Amino acid sequence: MKAADYYLDGPAPETPEPRQRQDRWGETRVVGRPLPRVDAYERVSGSAVYPSDVQLPGMLHAAILRSPHPHARVKRVETSRAEAMPGVRAVITHQTPGADIAWYTDREGATVGHLFEAHCRFEGEAVAAVAAESPYQARDALEAIEVEYEVLPFTSDYETALEPRAPAVRDGGNRASEPGVYERGDLAAGFNAAEVVVEETFRTPCELHTPLEPHGCVARWDGNRLTVWESTQGVYPVQSRVAQVLGLPLANVRVIGHYVGGGFGSKLRPGKYTVIAALLARQTGRPVRLFLSREETLLCAGNRPANRMRLKVGAKRDGTLTAIEFHGLGSGGAYSGSGTGILDWQVRDLYRCDNVRCTTENVYIHAGAQRPMRAPGHPQCSWALEQVMDELADRLELDPVELRLRNLASVSQGRGGIPYTSNGFRECLEEGARTFGWLAARSRARSEDDLARGVGMAGGLWIAGAGGPPSTAIVKYFADGSVNLNLGASDIGTGTKTVMAMVVAEELGVPLDRIQIEHADTATTQFATASGGSKTVPTDAPAVRAAALDCHNQLLDMAAEELAVAPSELKLDGDHVVAVGDPEKRVALREVSDFRRRQVVVGIGYRGPNPEGKATCPFAAQFCEVEVNRRTGEVRVLRFLGAHDSGRVMNRATYDNQVYGGIVMGIGLGLTERRVLDTGQTGKMCNLSWHDYKIPTALDVPADVTSLPIETEDVECNTVGAKGLGEPVTIPTAAAIANAVYNATGIRVWEAPLNATRLAELLAEREA
Amino acid sequence: MIPLTLRVNGRERRVLVEPRQSLLRVLRDELGLTGAKEGCHRGECGSCTVLMDGVPLYACMTLAPEAEGREITTVEGLLDGEALGPVQDAFAEHDAFQCGFCTSGQIVAVEGLLRANPQPSLEEIRTGVSGNLCRCGAYPNIFRAAGRAAELRAGRGGDS
Amino acid sequence: MLPNFAYVRARTVEEALEHLGGEDTRVHAGGTDLLGCLRDRVFAADKVVSLRDVEGLTGIRRAADGGLVLGGLTTLAEVSRSSEVRGLYPGLAQAASAVASPQLRNQGTLAGNLCQRPRCWYFRGEFHCAKKGGAQCYAVGGQNRYHAVLGGGPCYIVHPSDTAPMLLALDAAVRIVGRAGERAIKLAEFFVLPEVELARENVLAPGEIVTEILLPPAPGLYSSYRKVRERGAWDFALASVALALRSIGGRVTQASVVLGGVAPAPWRAEAVERAIVGTTVDEKTARDAAAAAVEGAEPLEWNAYKLPLIRGIVEESLRRFHDYQPS
Ligand SMILES: Cc1cc2nc3c(=O)[nH]c(=O)nc-3n(C[C@H](O)[C@H](O)[C@H](O)COP(=O)(O)OP(=O)(O)OC[C@H]3O[C@@H](n4cnc5c(N)ncnc54)[C@H](O)[C@@H]3O)c2cc1C
Ligand code: FES
Ligand code: FES
Repeated sequence: MKAADYYLDGPAPETPEPRQRQDRWGETRVVGRPLPRVDAYERVSGSAVYPSDVQLPGMLHAAILRSPHPHARVKRVETSRAEAMPGVRAVITHQTPGADIAWYTDREGATVGHLFEAHCRFEGEAVAAVAAESPYQARDALEAIEVEYEVLPFTSDYETALEPRAPAVRDGGNRASEPGVYERGDLAAGFNAAEVVVEETFRTPCELHTPLEPHGCVARWDGNRLTVWESTQGVYPVQSRVAQVLGLPLANVRVIGHYVGGGFGSKLRPGKYTVIAALLARQTGRPVRLFLSREETLLCAGNRPANRMRLKVGAKRDGTLTAIEFHGLGSGGAYSGSGTGILDWQVRDLYRCDNVRCTTENVYIHAGAQRPMRAPGHPQCSWALEQVMDELADRLELDPVELRLRNLASVSQGRGGIPYTSNGFRECLEEGARTFGWLAARSRARSEDDLARGVGMAGGLWIAGAGGPPSTAIVKYFADGSVNLNLGASDIGTGTKTVMAMVVAEELGVPLDRIQIEHADTATTQFATASGGSKTVPTDAPAVRAAALDCHNQLLDMAAEELAVAPSELKLDGDHVVAVGDPEKRVALREVSDFRRRQVVVGIGYRGPNPEGKATCPFAAQFCEVEVNRRTGEVRVLRFLGAHDSGRVMNRATYDNQVYGGIVMGIGLGLTERRVLDTGQTGKMCNLSWHDYKIPTALDVPADVTSLPIETEDVECNTVGAKGLGEPVTIPTAAAIANAVYNATGIRVWEAPLNATRLAELLAEREA
Repeated sequence: MIPLTLRVNGRERRVLVEPRQSLLRVLRDELGLTGAKEGCHRGECGSCTVLMDGVPLYACMTLAPEAEGREITTVEGLLDGEALGPVQDAFAEHDAFQCGFCTSGQIVAVEGLLRANPQPSLEEIRTGVSGNLCRCGAYPNIFRAAGRAAELRAGRGGDS
Repeated sequence: MLPNFAYVRARTVEEALEHLGGEDTRVHAGGTDLLGCLRDRVFAADKVVSLRDVEGLTGIRRAADGGLVLGGLTTLAEVSRSSEVRGLYPGLAQAASAVASPQLRNQGTLAGNLCQRPRCWYFRGEFHCAKKGGAQCYAVGGQNRYHAVLGGGPCYIVHPSDTAPMLLALDAAVRIVGRAGERAIKLAEFFVLPEVELARENVLAPGEIVTEILLPPAPGLYSSYRKVRERGAWDFALASVALALRSIGGRVTQASVVLGGVAPAPWRAEAVERAIVGTTVDEKTARDAAAAAVEGAEPLEWNAYKLPLIRGIVEESLRRFHDYQPS
């Protein structure tokens, strides 16, 4: 069985029934306001129980022994010394009965790697695991396991992985798939028509998700029922994989993920750790806690692949684009063929251009597998595309905003020219520039002393963000007017719970503090896909709205009987139902006899289908000002503005916070982050700590960050009018910084990250 | 194993530990105080920040026996009964978090900053939380919340 | 996670010295570097001797000669806050506050900062490198962006400490106590290059304790510390420069210029000193002196950027000095 078997592929059922109106919201009373989170208390008091905080009576602590080599064969594993150590309760390897589990499959479904793999293809491959009374004893036991490795030659540089000398990662060689080709129009004719051509090669580093909470879980068996508390973005994908791997009915696997300390795409699915914890728990008859160390999360909990991109763009003197050619190369590591997944999308879709050709190549290297990371492919592509646009503007002596405005696309070209349900890109550019003070800031003379200031901008769009079925929500309206909202989605920090409660409050007039939420538990809440892809709000909010309306309508039906007025003539007014034309005719809900008897009204809502033949995308433009030290190449980001069209703003506070967060992460990609492999020597990872893998601190981020919502009205995308936000916010950031650095110094840096370790030399070369 | 007496959030707690155990593991595993989080256990993230004698330190970089005889305050200790302390209130009000995993550490760092410097400038606030990573990137709101917390503390007599 | 060890808390220096006999007995000051080294298996410990409760190792006091005595266990936060340090040796306050993060400065001590082990990722990682007794220095043919451009070989670490270059520029001494007795030596004699001692970075013998850091009197002294790092906090120096200058009427009479983050030990830039002594450090002098700072530098494959970086911060620091001078 594949995960896809659990997804609906026909049209999804939709409630309320057609007779029940789901008008688009006009003025909203609750939705859109900057309300504090419904779970703020738990999160600031320290009382929220994250999966890594779960403590169960008798719980053991587990740890995984991993290959220290990027490529090696395990010749012998000797566990007896470890087994005899104090506190050790279980040691498992690929030889342990029941632990010989297929884990990685290729596209044809054939097994290419196991839970514990004797042929290790990346540093960090699981070789054995231990459960012990204390976490310290578990780590001690790992050190007592003796493993004899046959160390093999490796390939860790993706740019040379296809050279004949490069050791093969997989039997078929290092090419992971046939090159992807996308083409429209006539490229040669397009370049012939061009009056200016810009061509460059760009590189972005391998970036790591590094959520603050490490990956892991606590697993406990009750007979043949397994409960897993997992730090995850989606409890259902965890349930389905664990059930499949362990051969259990779905109903026997309960996954709970009430809180999660960040994921950014790296926790969309379970890890080997989930299954290993379950195996150890079964073997010992005790609950087992297995959380990765920080070092392990850096090594083997996913990454955004490094990319090399060649981009060639032709334009007429007036700025009209005539041709774009893009080539991207990347590696998803040893076990993912996706090194360039959706890398070229913005080339295909963001700017109007009739002649486009994109090719992408994927190779294997001996390194941990990629996992989707916040807007996969997009920030990398933006680094290339938006710098080329900037360069083009420079050569054409056009303002960069103006150049983009001259190339707006009216339809989704990459999807064969279908229209968007809404498109606020123009407003993002224009209003963003106005609010930022773009023209004034650009014309400000560059200072002549050591510190040079510059401004830069970049545009972007995110391929998805429409959300879609399936999603089911249940709203229980109790006799005292309090509400229980039940949905399967995880709240990964984006404010899902808060936004969904606000939708219920909007429809039922119930104050937020009267709404309790059950979520992210496969045993007690409804099916939901993982929270990722910027689709949680557009996917689940319509289902919640439908469930609330279902309640609403049932309440009116009951009151209609009581008042002898047709339901269509009634409306909800606080805890009363009143007749629209006759305010005298009213009844308190608690007096409605049918409701008193039933005590609760249960509304069910489903996510309806997306409109056919249309595309829904969030759009973005970001603007920033930087200061560059001309002697040292130090870059300081002074201020940022993010103008985002993500449709309706559901909660202005959590909305703005997403914008800040996306920009902060983009600053990391642009300025400081890179995974470093010891390519020429051992192939091991060098910067295996949070100190050496540098994510932005409070001193790397400006306090002056403005979120400017471009709230385009989208009546088609779904019934709440919201598009995705969490990913577009990080797409243009790094490129905007690079463009600002160019504006300040006249130097372009084609390779990220951009900081003193590159810029100092470039500045000095120019001086000389 | 050695016996230790720790003063945590105003209470004496007796524990039996290995000397290598960090204060963080003792707080979380032995005392059930899971407010302080383990983000790295290497002194590289700040999610484990606690106050020792009123000064913010990383509980993961502190051997449990080193904490003996000191007054330890965790995020739980900033509550007044069930009521949030001023820094916690300000963080909730200004949405100064997303996933919330770094939040206990941020709050304790701000509490420590304000005890030493009740009216910090923006730059002092930024430096004050520069030992606390937030991968969700809520920093601009954290700065605002810290400023607001200073006001709230002043309003409440500043002795929380 | 740490391996197990015995833990003792000494009350006096003598008691600490008694415990510090064995090869794998380790001093614990703030522990911020020690715990990292143990966790990463850089070295082992069978016993950890905590100096936390040892009387008289903390605090800052005036010396008889007008200089300052800083207890070895004084935290970096205390050093950077101290009004005496800020008044007399502002460069040291700047250096101390450029270390790591606020929490680590609250815990880490000045002696610990001088004695901390290097941060080279091969040394700290699972690589059996030359410094740990292996056959090769992986930095030579490997990922050497953060390694030495001066004084390297056979190992190319950079000395990690931010306070060390500043203290060296200030001509500080350390008081060292061991079973064999007590001595005070200048920092210039404290640090050693790998060509002299591959396995350690200073002359401290096993079992010895740094009890005090002694600063000579400061009248007429100008000091500054400038550090470049990749991110705003929690980051070691890509390069740094410590200046300690005396001048009369704007003309430099005595100069000490020390580079950090670029060599296996704090690196005295004597050519810079020569170039500025006797001058008023005008623009041209500053530029020429800065160029002299990298004389003899031998960058590896990925760290040539350090040369313009050094020139940049030396020139900037000298110009700051010039602008600061009341003319
Ligand atoms: C994430 C991180 C970032 C850091 N960033 C920086 C930075 O930017 N700049 C910087 O300079 N440092 C940095 N440090 C290094 C260091 O931890 C601190 O600088 C601190 O000052 C060390 O002091 P300590 O008291 O904690 O030392 P400890 O860890 O207690 O000791 C360090 C070493 O010195 C020995 N030792 C300690 N005290 C004495 C003594 N009195 N006599 C003899 N031997 C002694 C110990 O045995 C040990 O080997 C960083 C550390 C970490 C963990
Ligand atoms: S857990 Fe202590 S600093 Fe990260
Ligand atoms: S709120 Fe998620 S890391 Fe700070």
